[in-house]
Amino acid sequence: MNGMVSRVEPPSGVRRNGPAPFWRVVRSELGWVLRRPRNLLALFGLAMLPVLIGTVLTLTDSAGSGPSLFAAMAGNGLVLPVFSLMMTQNLLLPLVTAMVAADALAGESAHGTLRGLLLAPVGRVRLVTVKAIGVASMIVLAVGVITLSGVLTGLTVVGGDGLVTLSGTTLPLGPALGRVALAAGWCAVQMAAVGAVALAVSAATEHPLLVMAVTVGGLIVFGVLEAFPNLEWLKPVMLTTDWYSISDVLSDPIRSQDLLTGLWRACCYILIGFSAATARMATKDT
Amino acid sequence: MGEAVDTARAGAHEAPASARETEPALRTRSLRKTYGRTVAVSDVNLTVPRGAVLGMLGPNGSGKTTTIRMLLGLTEPTSGSVELLGHRIPEHTGRALPLVGSLVEGPGFHPFLSGRRNLRRCAAVEPGLFGSDTDTAVEQALERVGLSEAAERRYRSYSLGMKQRLGLAAALLVPRELVVLDEPTNGLDPAGTREIRRVIADLHADGTTVILSSHLLSEVENTCTHAAVLREGTLIAQGALDTLLESTGPSLLVTVADTEEGLRALREADLPVSQENGDLRVDLSDNRAPEVIAALVRAGVEVHEARRERAGLEDIFARLTEGET
Repeated sequence: MNGMVSRVEPPSGVRRNGPAPFWRVVRSELGWVLRRPRNLLALFGLAMLPVLIGTVLTLTDSAGSGPSLFAAMAGNGLVLPVFSLMMTQNLLLPLVTAMVAADALAGESAHGTLRGLLLAPVGRVRLVTVKAIGVASMIVLAVGVITLSGVLTGLTVVGGDGLVTLSGTTLPLGPALGRVALAAGWCAVQMAAVGAVALAVSAATEHPLLVMAVTVGGLIVFGVLEAFPNLEWLKPVMLTTDWYSISDVLSDPIRSQDLLTGLWRACCYILIGFSAATARMATKDT
Repeated sequence: MGEAVDTARAGAHEAPASARETEPALRTRSLRKTYGRTVAVSDVNLTVPRGAVLGMLGPNGSGKTTTIRMLLGLTEPTSGSVELLGHRIPEHTGRALPLVGSLVEGPGFHPFLSGRRNLRRCAAVEPGLFGSDTDTAVEQALERVGLSEAAERRYRSYSLGMKQRLGLAAALLVPRELVVLDEPTNGLDPAGTREIRRVIADLHADGTTVILSSHLLSEVENTCTHAAVLREGTLIAQGALDTLLESTGPSLLVTVADTEEGLRALREADLPVSQENGDLRVDLSDNRAPEVIAALVRAGVEVHEARRERAGLEDIFARLTEGET
């Protein structure tokens, strides 16, 4: 075998000093997240969901019954993206978020690639930041495709001119799209909270499956606890408490109180989750 | 021999240019790692001179990998200190590690990415590379390990040997001062093993320090200038390979017609003899070869062949690791 030539020369003959540039590492991370077939499949699936809901709605003419938001959707296309976000926010979006967060640290650890990153070296705190950016990007994309697909399906399949709010007023297309964007942003922050906690779990284990189980299991437990009236006192600390108030963006004027409470709560979760992930990584054996 | 052979200065004759280069590539002091009640590594004082090729030897579970992980800052020692290329580890990994290439606990890559994409990911986080150099560095590294043709194939389709080569390519993406290879020939066929040896020899020729862990003695004997022997987490010998080999005396290997008869004759003459593959091995540290032959001839044993042999690493290793009984 004519084989290996082991003499190593730096291509331009110059060695760089200092750590690898932050944005180069981030770009590589994003490329990695977006090249993963299962992530692309998840995005595709999420994009299809509003199409499915819109189609069922039109074909079966089932609007007018069921949950109030569902009822409000008849002939009112721009409710569809908000309705889709509310539906996916409970399980599907957290699942996708947990999956990406699981890959981010636990998955890398399982493949032995986390070691490579730390030996390069990418600083441990920096690595958590890069990973958080990767997870956040996937969340933004996931929420984005649902919203976009919801708006397009809503306008073309369900139809409607502008948006009839839950308060009965009608908003023109521009402000109506603003309301949809607001719902999307709010939902993304909630998912970022889920992602931060998932990333902390991800830093603590090398089993990606465990991250998904803990994250989704936690949300299900929250759902169960919410059903008990005598556990009312727990509500302020449970992430899911205000999740249904996402439909408040469709009131006129916007009922902002629960939305804001939910936003602050999510920010607390983000802070705690990110700190825990960083603290765990800083001392982790890899 | 219970104590370590100390030859810390063995590699220092290679004309150091500055004060920084006279210090060893690696020095650990009283390195210790415990997991609960299990002591993985205990009191390891290891010194590797610059430019040396050190073979870390020891049976599975003797603490080789744990030691290496502590050297690279992957695991924090319970106590003791590590100085890697003059930098304290783990406090200053950011300064030392860019100069270190490593392949630890097998190659780690993503199965869904091609070999090239995997290496590009390594190049992106490599501090020593400018952004404009990353692609060239990746292509050169692929070429170097003979993976250019398979670069577009997904990592999951690689054979064990190809995976190992990709790991080596990642370790040698930029010029290094120190290369750490943990069981580099695992899963390689004889040709692959030879190639790894050549890479190590070339690195050595370039003045790169190499630390290599292995449980294969022949691998160490053929490629290393220095050796360190670990047993149950303790460093039981270290030093230049030549010094280690000389520390056991030469021996005489005798082929006789009747082994049983020869064995009895030599034992009656009070000569330290053992049987080896149908031959007789006599330790010559305290005896002369003619005495051995004479004893055999006097007893009427036919001698077919007698040859002098330097003790192999295998003998030393066997004695060190079973020794204290």
